Amino acid sequence: MIGNAFQETPRANAVAALQVAEASFAYGAEPALTGIDFAVLPGQAVALIGPNGSGKSTLLKGVLGLITRTSGTVEVLGQWPAPAGYIGYVPQTDQLDPHFPVSLEQVVMMGRFRSLGWWRLPSKADHRAVAEALETVDLSARARTRFGELSGGQQQRGLLARAVASAPRLLLLDEPFNGLDQINRDALIETVKRLKQQGVAVLVSTHDLDLARAVCESVLLLNGAQVAFGPRDEVLTLANVQQAFGSVGVEMDEHTIVVPGHGGH
Amino acid sequence: MDVFTPLITAFDLPFMARALLVLVVLSLVAGLVGVLVNLRGLEFISDGLTHAVFPGVAIGFVWGGRDGLFVGAMAAALIAAVVLTVIVKRAVTSDAAIAVVFTAMFSVGIIVVSRETNYVGQLDALLFGRLLTVSPAEVNQTVIVCLIALIMVGFTLKEQVFRAFDREGTVAAGYRPLALDIVLNVAIALVVVAASSAVGNLLVLAVLIVPGAVARLVTNRLWLLFPVAAGFAIVAAWVGLALGYEASVNGGVDLPSGATVVLVLVAGYGMALVARLALDRIGGHHRTRRAVGQLAEPVVH
Repeated sequence: MIGNAFQETPRANAVAALQVAEASFAYGAEPALTGIDFAVLPGQAVALIGPNGSGKSTLLKGVLGLITRTSGTVEVLGQWPAPAGYIGYVPQTDQLDPHFPVSLEQVVMMGRFRSLGWWRLPSKADHRAVAEALETVDLSARARTRFGELSGGQQQRGLLARAVASAPRLLLLDEPFNGLDQINRDALIETVKRLKQQGVAVLVSTHDLDLARAVCESVLLLNGAQVAFGPRDEVLTLANVQQAFGSVGVEMDEHTIVVPGHGGH
Repeated sequence: MDVFTPLITAFDLPFMARALLVLVVLSLVAGLVGVLVNLRGLEFISDGLTHAVFPGVAIGFVWGGRDGLFVGAMAAALIAAVVLTVIVKRAVTSDAAIAVVFTAMFSVGIIVVSRETNYVGQLDALLFGRLLTVSPAEVNQTVIVCLIALIMVGFTLKEQVFRAFDREGTVAAGYRPLALDIVLNVAIALVVVAASSAVGNLLVLAVLIVPGAVARLVTNRLWLLFPVAAGFAIVAAWVGLALGYEASVNGGVDLPSGATVVLVLVAGYGMALVARLALDRIGGHHRTRRAVGQLAEPVVH
């Protein structure tokens, strides 16, 4: 279905798609996140969970090399910096200019640029990969629409299609459920599951336990530092969550972490 | 026919033909680079670059006359482009940094020129260009400089658009945005150098910014922006030159050619703006309907 996606089946002792060891990150001189130590195996997914400002986006940016790492190591498939084209990144859509004159199709094609190389124009194979990626996220009908005219959920899926089109081996998603209705959420979960089956490793920041439960084997709890990392159900205990969210009276139900004064998220 | 004849006949004269050639080449490249300036919102940086090139022009001119002018401009442009790229990356409030550094450099240029009393009269040429006295050798210089800028931007065009849309996305994909930025800023600087000798340092900004802005008003389709911007700039250059010539030779009004071209550019922008506003007004209800249709369309899974 997805043209060039990583096809190998995950092996028990496969080299980690992402290995972060005792890493700290900083914005300039200001430390932002410390003591990060975890791994994502091919075909598996890790959820980053923590309150606002706990460093979820910071960690994703650290993995991308967008901010300074002050200690420790980060390796993508055993290498640093990550080899070009290994990482697919789905940012939050509100970081993008809604007036930028670019169609959805053209945004998705950006995922092909790196493998395409300088100067060269997209080939038929590239157009096919874009069409397939759009089909994967169910947006084929919107291919020619200007990106900024799409709804938030459609933009989110469009950016996921861009990542899919680049056939990544590690997929980073920053709060992908933000502003999505239930239908879009289900579609996103399905796409992520399919990518995992193809051996793609996934690291997803979320405050939505539904997403963690649906696709993630492991959870990394954050609060400026690593609070806990391990199998999802072992980590998501009330005690751990209370420690991460730093508040007495934190409650958890099946879907969300309820923090008093934070409107449920 | 009388109105249109000068559009052709004015260029029978060799100096007019040279001026047109310079402006056509410049328009082509400035259109391409200008769209990227617009997409990236680099108008202020471009302004900084034009200021930064001026002391290079002035020092080069004092040092080596008209040949030194070109060398000085190139050196200043390349240094400024790299310095600027780094400042913007590091500084928290880059606008202030750019303003401080480059107005200071502009002042240095003016002081250098005014110290050399022999050259004070040349300040005009540096600031306002000397389109009609371009020599064949200078035409070659301009074409070569523009060609280099064209290759730099053409070679990285799709990546530049990607970077303009989503900087972090380019990092994730394995690009170095800093390298892309240096390529674009150097290309802008080259256009500034090429345009400085033609329309003058003070008017370069119009050549660099107006065509891209017009293209944005005319179309929302990405790959149409570039030909629209370049085409508009070429037509404006042609009309502006012919108009300046006609007014000076047959109308008895002495219009400086560079400034006339810039005014035609700006008039074109004004017309495009009015047309866009009018179209948006007429199409307003149509667009609303389309937006509603979009929301109402069922999402099928």
